[in-house]
Amino acid sequence: MSLLATVGKQLKSHPALIPLFIFIGGGATMSVMYLGRLALKNPDVSWDRKNNPEPWNKMEPTQQYKLFAINMDYSKLKKDRPDF
Amino acid sequence: MAQYTQLGLQDAASPLMEELLHFHDHALMIITLISAFVLYIILTMVTAKTTDKYILDSQEVEIIWTVLPAIILVLIALPSLRILYLLDEINDPHLTIKAMGHQWYWSYEYTDYEDLGFDSYMVPTQDLTPGQFRLLEADHRMVIPVESPIRVLVSAEDVLHSWAVPSLGVKMDAVPGRLNQVAFVASRPGVFFGQCSEICGANHSFMPIVVEAVPLEHFENWSSLMLEDA
Repeated sequence: MSLLATVGKQLKSHPALIPLFIFIGGGATMSVMYLGRLALKNPDVSWDRKNNPEPWNKMEPTQQYKLFAINMDYSKLKKDRPDF
Repeated sequence: MAQYTQLGLQDAASPLMEELLHFHDHALMIITLISAFVLYIILTMVTAKTTDKYILDSQEVEIIWTVLPAIILVLIALPSLRILYLLDEINDPHLTIKAMGHQWYWSYEYTDYEDLGFDSYMVPTQDLTPGQFRLLEADHRMVIPVESPIRVLVSAEDVLHSWAVPSLGVKMDAVPGRLNQVAFVASRPGVFFGQCSEICGANHSFMPIVVEAVPLEHFENWSSLMLEDA
C-alpha cells in the first residue's frame, strides 16, 4: 500500500509518467497473458503426466492451436493420416 | 538473382515473399522518416544561438514523445505479427521434394510418384556459357510446376548447410539427422537462384540452388526425361 501511495503521489506532480505506466504495464500484461496461454493451451505442454501424458496426440484436424488465423479456414481441414 | 550494387530485396516470386517485401517497405519508410527527423533535430540544436543554464522540463512534450513512439511501434508490430502467423499456416502441397545438402552440392529427390533423384553441382566459372551467371548456375535445376504449393524437406548428409532462395522467401537449415520442412508457391514462371546459407567448408560459397518454375505440362515432360536419363 505504501508503494502504491508513493507512486501515486509522484504521478500527481509528474503526469507525463502516466502514459509510460500504461504502455509498460500493457506490454507486461500482454506478455504474461501470452505465456499463460502457451502454458495452459499449447498441445506441446503436459501438466498431468498421469492422466494426460501426451496431449499432442489428441489434436483434432480442425483444431486451431495458434493464436491468430489470418487466411486459414480450419473447419475445412481433413484428417488424412492414420490414428496413433 | 541479386544485381551488382542492389540495395533492396529481390523481386518476389511467391505470395509470402510479396508480403515480406511490402512489410520491409513499410518498416523502412518509418525508420527513414524517424532518422531524418532526428537528424533535423540534431542539426537544429547544434546550430542554435540560444543557450539555457537551468534545467528545463515539460510534462506535455514528455507525454507526446512517450505516446507517439508507442503508437509507431504498434503500427509496426501488427503487420509483423500478421506475416508471422501467415508463414506458419497449414498448406496442402501438391508435390514434396527432398533437398539434401552435401559437401559441396545439393541433391534433389522427387519420390512422390516415381524414384527420381539427381545431384546439382555449381557450373564452374570456366565452363559458363555467355549469359550465364557466375557462381549461381547449377548443372541440374530443381524444376517445379508454377502456382502449385510445394513442400521441400531439407536435410544434410554430412555437415550443416542451409537451403535458401531469397526471391521465394525461403530459407531452411539442413541439419544432418533432422528433417526440416518448408513450403511455398511459385506465383510466376522463372528461374530463381539462391546460395548455401550455412558455413560448410571450403566450397560453401560454391554450392548454389537453382529453382525453375514451369507450367505443369513442361514439368511432366522434364520429369519423364530425367527418369529416362537416370
